[in-house]
Amino acid sequence: MRALLALTVFGGGVAHATLAPALRVAGVTPDLPLIVVVLLALRRGPEFGAVAGFVAGLLQDAAGGGLLGVQALTKALIGFAIGAAGSRLAVTQPLVQVPGLVLLTVAEALVRFALLKLFRFPAPLGELLAWVVLPQALYNGFLGALLVLALSWIELTRARST
Amino acid sequence: MKARKYALLLVLVAVSLLLLTLQSRGYGSRAGDLVAVVTTPLQAGYARVTRGALAVWTTYLDWKNVRAENRRLRAEIERLRVEALRVSETDDENRRLRTLLALQERLPLTTLAGEIIAREWGGWVRALTVNRGRADRVARMTAVISPFGLVGRIVDVRPGSAIVQVLTDPASTVGAHVVRTRTPGIVEGEPRGTLRFKYLARDGTALQVGDVLVTSGQGGLFPRGIPIGRVRAIDDRGAALFNYAALDPAVDFGRVDEVLVVTGRPSQDLTAYFPPGG
Repeated sequence: MRALLALTVFGGGVAHATLAPALRVAGVTPDLPLIVVVLLALRRGPEFGAVAGFVAGLLQDAAGGGLLGVQALTKALIGFAIGAAGSRLAVTQPLVQVPGLVLLTVAEALVRFALLKLFRFPAPLGELLAWVVLPQALYNGFLGALLVLALSWIELTRARST
Repeated sequence: MKARKYALLLVLVAVSLLLLTLQSRGYGSRAGDLVAVVTTPLQAGYARVTRGALAVWTTYLDWKNVRAENRRLRAEIERLRVEALRVSETDDENRRLRTLLALQERLPLTTLAGEIIAREWGGWVRALTVNRGRADRVARMTAVISPFGLVGRIVDVRPGSAIVQVLTDPASTVGAHVVRTRTPGIVEGEPRGTLRFKYLARDGTALQVGDVLVTSGQGGLFPRGIPIGRVRAIDDRGAALFNYAALDPAVDFGRVDEVLVVTGRPSQDLTAYFPPGG
């Protein structure tokens, strides 16, 4: 649990501000904390998903200098939801993972937008979706699928060696 | 169990909303400071590691780019070298052809320009193949010349080519005389690829190293006055009937690429039409 939480913190919230710019493609950066939270929630269930989402989101909020609690809330919800639904979904195929992460990114963005609107967030949703959310959602989908494949390969290698 | 799950979620949502509410009421900076205490050292460490990893990666990319650039530039240099050689070769060929054309235009006899397409340089035979043959009405025993002098004679004519027996062929003999003294004799090819001038001892007493020899025109085979070579050494055999002189050929047979096949039969001396001194 501690190791996974550390992974969430290091691989998600904190890493996002330092590592994501290096992964920028055509101005689009992936939402690393979201990917990490989703992958962990799928493996560890809703409780862990919610806590990991909260921690990663909170650190992301702090690192970004925005409103503390927005992403903590949205990612906690996403972590919980995906953790709860994970056992009922066939999520081992990249064909599922890519659109899955795309949809989750869009869902998280919509919840975040709704929350921010309460605090008079000025940007229009249409532009935000077209220029930020959808490109990032696609990037998250492909990066997440790559991570899943890499994890599967590592697990397979470990299983063979033991 | 299920209730605990939802309770946890509710707590998290409540904490988030509390944070947001506090911030909206002006207490945001303290909460932010609290989180920053944890995140800042982590971020600093992470940034160091990331920067280090990125630096290694950037160095690797630079190295790779430099290598690719190096490979590309090497290929470019290679291509330019070949290009330069080709230009130089074309330039040389152009110069040779101009010289040949100039000779062809100024000679008072009809000639046919040809290109050397093969060489037989074994020692038993020294011959060149010229790309003029029966179709060009080339006949056997026709003289073949270059802008520097006599190359040889045609000994075999084929449909599209002809074989030129070079002066240095061991079977080659040409009637010649020394320009300065008019000493007559025969220029023979030797198996080692050199030329020698065979002359009557009594006629060649005044022969000197450096004397130029040209065709004598005797026998009607070669036009008179075509340079053959220059005396390099004299082999005085005392009381013998014949003496010999080693010659430096006027033509570099190994490098001749274009020739003129003499098709007309002039009556005048051609010495004046070639570079002075052979």
